[in-house]
Amino acid sequence: MTQSAPETASKPNVVSIRDLHKSFGELEVLKGISFDAREGEVVALIGSSGSGKSTLLRCINMLEVPNQGTVAIDGEEIRLRGKGHDRRIGDERQIHRIRSELGMVFQSFNLWAHMTILENVMEAPLVVQKRPRPEVEAEALAMLAKVGIREKAGAYPAQLSGGQQQRAAIARALCINPRVMLFDEPTSALDPELEVEVLRVIKILADEGRTMVLVTHDMEFARSVSDRVIFLHQGLIEEEGTPDQVFGATRSPRLKQFLNAANHE
Amino acid sequence: MFDFLPQWMRDGLGDDVLFWLGYLTNGKHLTWYASLQFTVFAAVFGSLLAVTFGLLGATLKNSTFPPARLIGTIYASIVRGVPDVLFFIFFPLAFEQSVEWVMASQVCTPETLAAQSAAWPPCKEANWLLSTPEYLVMASVSLGIIYGAFATNVIHGALRAVPKGQLEAARAYGMSASQVLWRIHIRQMWVYALPGLSNVWMLIIKATSLLSLLQIADIVLWADRLGAPNFLKSVGLVHDDWRWRYYLVLFVFYILVTLVSEKGFNVLMRWAGRGILDESRR
Repeated sequence: MTQSAPETASKPNVVSIRDLHKSFGELEVLKGISFDAREGEVVALIGSSGSGKSTLLRCINMLEVPNQGTVAIDGEEIRLRGKGHDRRIGDERQIHRIRSELGMVFQSFNLWAHMTILENVMEAPLVVQKRPRPEVEAEALAMLAKVGIREKAGAYPAQLSGGQQQRAAIARALCINPRVMLFDEPTSALDPELEVEVLRVIKILADEGRTMVLVTHDMEFARSVSDRVIFLHQGLIEEEGTPDQVFGATRSPRLKQFLNAANHE
Repeated sequence: MFDFLPQWMRDGLGDDVLFWLGYLTNGKHLTWYASLQFTVFAAVFGSLLAVTFGLLGATLKNSTFPPARLIGTIYASIVRGVPDVLFFIFFPLAFEQSVEWVMASQVCTPETLAAQSAAWPPCKEANWLLSTPEYLVMASVSLGIIYGAFATNVIHGALRAVPKGQLEAARAYGMSASQVLWRIHIRQMWVYALPGLSNVWMLIIKATSLLSLLQIADIVLWADRLGAPNFLKSVGLVHDDWRWRYYLVLFVFYILVTLVSEKGFNVLMRWAGRGILDESRR
């Protein structure tokens, strides 16, 4: 756990989500979700597959545009226009600016294959944030050292193991000095022995007091790293609380069932 | 002809060799060699245009705006369906006559129109006289349009082959649509497009042999002329119908271009495939 609950309770909201709805065709994936992530807080989203947790995370940076509801980063609401399925981004400049401060880590890494690891990490700071190259390069190398793959700076993604690729992707997210780190099942595509090295890096970041929203299927990890756990069931928040409350004093029968199944994996 | 050579060298070569050396470097042969520039120009300029039209066509075909998608699809299907030779003679003529038609509406008077009766151009002042440079540019544009349609399909497929997740990551980091397109999508597209584009390049190289259809005195036309039975006043019959020998030279030339092109595309492929090819080999 990074900071005790009362410590973050007084901090401002970095992510505020209100009444979020999202459907794909007929299928309603999110049915009205509201939650906040305060500065320095680590929020874990858990739930069975299809519960909408990844979609919810992807709505934060508008990779999916919600049909209804709002998302605000640092109190600034992301402008959308249109209604329902026609809802789209309302202000390209605003979304590019906001996205440039949200560090997303994907399940399948999504490193740019034609760039070296160092180029991957430097790309957004140089091209989007337009920061000076010497400063960015120094920071990128420091971030690679931090995730333990400084010596791979000149390699291409395909030459790295899955765990190394995911750590490079984390360095890429760190180098934009993000307001929030968004993790979308960062270890699901990894073999168990590689999972550990990535989880260790995420744990270090959590302990540094970074604001993070994390989608995970790893209950033990969610418990050890997060300040607050949100359990999603069929597009709604079924239960929410500190890890001790959610895992130790489970109220919802559906969550009990889910945790039982997860323990028997 | 080779009087400038020292006597010992001329003795060593012998009169026959000196004669043929002189013959193969006479004015007409030099013109033949120089006409290579037309072929090279048409091939290079034509392929640059083909890639440009290909990128444009593929972008239209990929567009979310239905009319744009329709234009891209129509371009790729119709132009690929029309025989190249037909399009190659159709486009320059159509372009020339359209220009003359526009000129006619500006410069012709009722009197000059009457003098020309029903002939084309409508009046003599609206006659656009074309020479080799203009024809060459139009030939290159024709090649660009024809093979741009093939390149459209190649590039369209290649754009779809780029992993979606990498484009999504680029968007997630705040890149604008054009930054995603140029820095990630098109940059990675080449590795999937180059094998197909190398085919298009070979087709363009072969199509440059059509330049003579547009009255450009290119290597094929000159080979035809030089290969015909040839008399010189001083020596009488130099050779009878030697066209096959001259055509053979062209064969060898085109094969050499093919070999060099393959080497060139290998180099390009290595550049475009850095990092990416390793991945697909895993």
